[in-house]
Amino acid sequence: MASKPMFRFLLRRFIFLLVTYIVATTVVFILPRAIPGNPLAQMLSSLSQVAQANPEAIRAAERTLMKEFGVDKPVLVQYGEFLLKALRGDLGTSISYYPRKVIDLIVPVIPWTLILLLPATLVAWILGNTLGALAAYRRNTWIDKGVLTSSLVVSQIPYYWLGMIFIFLFGVRLGWLPVQGAYSQGTIPSLSWGFFVDALKHYVMPFASIVISTMGGWAIGMRVMVVYELGSDYALFSEYLGMRDKRIFKYAFRNSLLPQITGLALNLGTVLGGALITEIVFNYPGTGFLLFKALTTLDYPMIQGIFVILIASVYLANFIVDFLYAWIDPRIRLGQEE
Amino acid sequence: MKRLFVFLVLALTISLFAQVSVPREETVYIAGCLWGPATTWNLYAPQSTWGTDQFLYIPAFQYDLGRDAWIPLIAETYEFLDDKTLRIYIRPEAKWSDGEPITAEDFVYALELSKKLGIGPGVGWDSYIENVRAIASKVVEFKARTEPLNYFQFLSYSLGAQPMPKHVYSKLEAAGTIKDWINDKPEEQVVSGPYKLYHHDPNIVIYQRIDNWWGKDIFGLPRPKYIAHVIYKDNPSASLAVERGDVDWVGLFIPSVWEMWEKKKLPIGTWYKEKPYFLPDGVGFVYLNNTKPGLSDPAVRKAIAYAIPYEEMLVKAYFGYGSQAHPSMVIDLFEPNKQYINYELAKKAWGTSDGRIPFDLEKAKKILDEAGYKPGKDGIRVGPDGTKLGPYTISVPYGWTDWMMMCEMIAKNLKSIGIDVVTEFPDFSVWADRMTKGTFDLIISWSVGPSFDHPFNIYRFVLDKRLSAPVGEVTWAGDWERYDNDEVVELLDKAVSTLDPEVRKNAYFRIQEIVYRDMPSVPAFYTAHWYEYSTKYWINWPNEENPFWFRPAPWHADTLPTLFSISSKNNPQSVPTWIETTDKGGLGIPTAKVFTDLQSAGK
Repeated sequence: MASKPMFRFLLRRFIFLLVTYIVATTVVFILPRAIPGNPLAQMLSSLSQVAQANPEAIRAAERTLMKEFGVDKPVLVQYGEFLLKALRGDLGTSISYYPRKVIDLIVPVIPWTLILLLPATLVAWILGNTLGALAAYRRNTWIDKGVLTSSLVVSQIPYYWLGMIFIFLFGVRLGWLPVQGAYSQGTIPSLSWGFFVDALKHYVMPFASIVISTMGGWAIGMRVMVVYELGSDYALFSEYLGMRDKRIFKYAFRNSLLPQITGLALNLGTVLGGALITEIVFNYPGTGFLLFKALTTLDYPMIQGIFVILIASVYLANFIVDFLYAWIDPRIRLGQEE
Repeated sequence: MKRLFVFLVLALTISLFAQVSVPREETVYIAGCLWGPATTWNLYAPQSTWGTDQFLYIPAFQYDLGRDAWIPLIAETYEFLDDKTLRIYIRPEAKWSDGEPITAEDFVYALELSKKLGIGPGVGWDSYIENVRAIASKVVEFKARTEPLNYFQFLSYSLGAQPMPKHVYSKLEAAGTIKDWINDKPEEQVVSGPYKLYHHDPNIVIYQRIDNWWGKDIFGLPRPKYIAHVIYKDNPSASLAVERGDVDWVGLFIPSVWEMWEKKKLPIGTWYKEKPYFLPDGVGFVYLNNTKPGLSDPAVRKAIAYAIPYEEMLVKAYFGYGSQAHPSMVIDLFEPNKQYINYELAKKAWGTSDGRIPFDLEKAKKILDEAGYKPGKDGIRVGPDGTKLGPYTISVPYGWTDWMMMCEMIAKNLKSIGIDVVTEFPDFSVWADRMTKGTFDLIISWSVGPSFDHPFNIYRFVLDKRLSAPVGEVTWAGDWERYDNDEVVELLDKAVSTLDPEVRKNAYFRIQEIVYRDMPSVPAFYTAHWYEYSTKYWINWPNEENPFWFRPAPWHADTLPTLFSISSKNNPQSVPTWIETTDKGGLGIPTAKVFTDLQSAGK
């Protein structure tokens, strides 16, 4: 398996990733700075709104902050510092949550995001693909029509609205499930059965809403692809050979799965970006809200920090997919040879 | 192997019962003060986590806005040696939570450190205080600067000083890590107040009462054992929690708040049962850029003042949560402030019974006509020197829906008198940039609120050109409209460097004459002191009928006494007597008494 061409292929991919990584981080550095505005504005305005803030205090704070965050330094110097620090794994200090380190703010919310989004994405992917394939297999039956129309409808529902409906129905009206948070207010996370059950109850609605709203897209995609595969030459040929439907379907299904795996990998890569709307609607902790806050307050180090992690995880996912592909599908590996 | 198995089973069984939580009946839940991750519990930072300043580190004297008095907390008494020197005597009982006594050194150290770092409690004190010295272990002396002499700042910086534990900070200072210190380990926190941190994570911040707090025998203990703030992501999710009774103490803007009790019959209240529901918290201004052609003419600014639909704006855009501001800029809803308004003058200037500016489009047009602004072909007026009144923009940050609506209404009315104004709603930081750099045309924004040195604070904030900066340079300190008047500067200095109440009052009256003549910007409405409460678990909240504390919102810096006065529903207790002024058997020393003492010490 660890043949020489394979190794060369992977090395090439790795170098390519490294170069794009540097380009991407540069973009992440430049873009937020291109937004007009001042990252210290939010902080100074809240100082200014404190009833008894004295002009002297505001002036002193203004001077101190400018120096502290190095926004008075030339942009090139700031860029150099950012690159050097990022290589050492130091993402810097947040501006709006000063003096907390960006990494210390991101790390506690990452588990919540992963726990919610990884299973939700996987379940939606599996359910969506199964349903889509099933619909294609039973084309033009009531199953197909049911899956297709409901998928179309569900995938077009604004997520915000779906979440609110869930809260209103199951939380407020029926009172079955808690309306917000990741666990009951007043409990302190601990490794206990009680906490687990409590957290699970809070998990149901955000999880279900993500699964439902993303499932439709997968189903539609899968259905189209299987239908296409079933119409291709090899499928027709097998049919003429008198092969059983189920077997043909199996071939078609496998071939349709390849692009879906790429889609899944990319999706999983962006999981760390969080699900902003889910987090807001269900008041669930996660990285999405942190990123949103950082963008609206122009917290440069925080924006950079989250994107660096995000880019790295997308690349990692890509790399893994490339590896898997090269392993699964010899055509790709051999194609690189020429 | 067998032992490991037994251990695992044991651990699992124990953990089954080990779920940690704070009891609902002993916890006050809060919303409206924290909208993101906690920052730090160290006051030497631009923004400490809510609660640090309110409950963890308390001042020598707590200012009481409603009674205009000073309650001695860490301090026991004060003494003026002369009219520039104040001594504060620290309570012998006063201790840090680790048992170390609170000493004069802690006061001196705290202020010197703020000066050195340019940030921290009492930063800026050295503009008004010559020096702070420890006279004895429990005696601090503050000496006022004479140039500039500002009695109000001198008193508020010294009486309101917060000591910091020198024995903790000096170690950090030596290590050079003060600014990076998060102070998030409950067992290591050394505080002077009755609470300290109990737990925090991305969802919640919980403080726990210190049951053997040093002030227990003097003030009693605050009633809630825990105070907890769930970190909501936005206003609707916080409001929903309020409606469900999950939150007890609230500082939120809630649309149509009265529906909570009138329609939904929920046990929720605000300060007033009827309009305006909330106490005032500051003055919302329509700032007019004094450097823009057209807007630089006082006649145009005055016409604008007449063309703002105050009443309609407040009812439609602000749910009636405020009333029209007095043109003198003084917040006259608090009784002690009324003496500073020359009502006769206001009545003469604006022709209404209490001197508030009427909404009168005809009058506005007349002023513009008289000043020579004639409507052009497009209906927009052009001045005698060819200055066209527009196009101007009026802007507030996108998403501030109440103010956005106000902008629309103002723009519409200004257009009808021939001033071309369109609305613009950029992102907050863009808007703030224009405001502080003086590149805006018209904006709605905040000023300062009721305080010990009101109305000096608001006159200074809006009119003092020394706080300004040239157009294009950022100033957060004040005078955003770039008003330039030396006489006002003189009057401001006069008002705060005198101990004669008459001289002070006359200075304010003269400023009012100038303001009515020049109308640098328009004081439009009082912003609301967002404060709601639920009586599901906790009762005796301060309100109109039970007005024992006038800064009751959980986000306000002076809110601490609220927690000593509310009661658990199961255990009703009375409001402590120390909250009252000395003449009613309490501890509060009226500001008037402080000034008389100061005056007699000078003689």
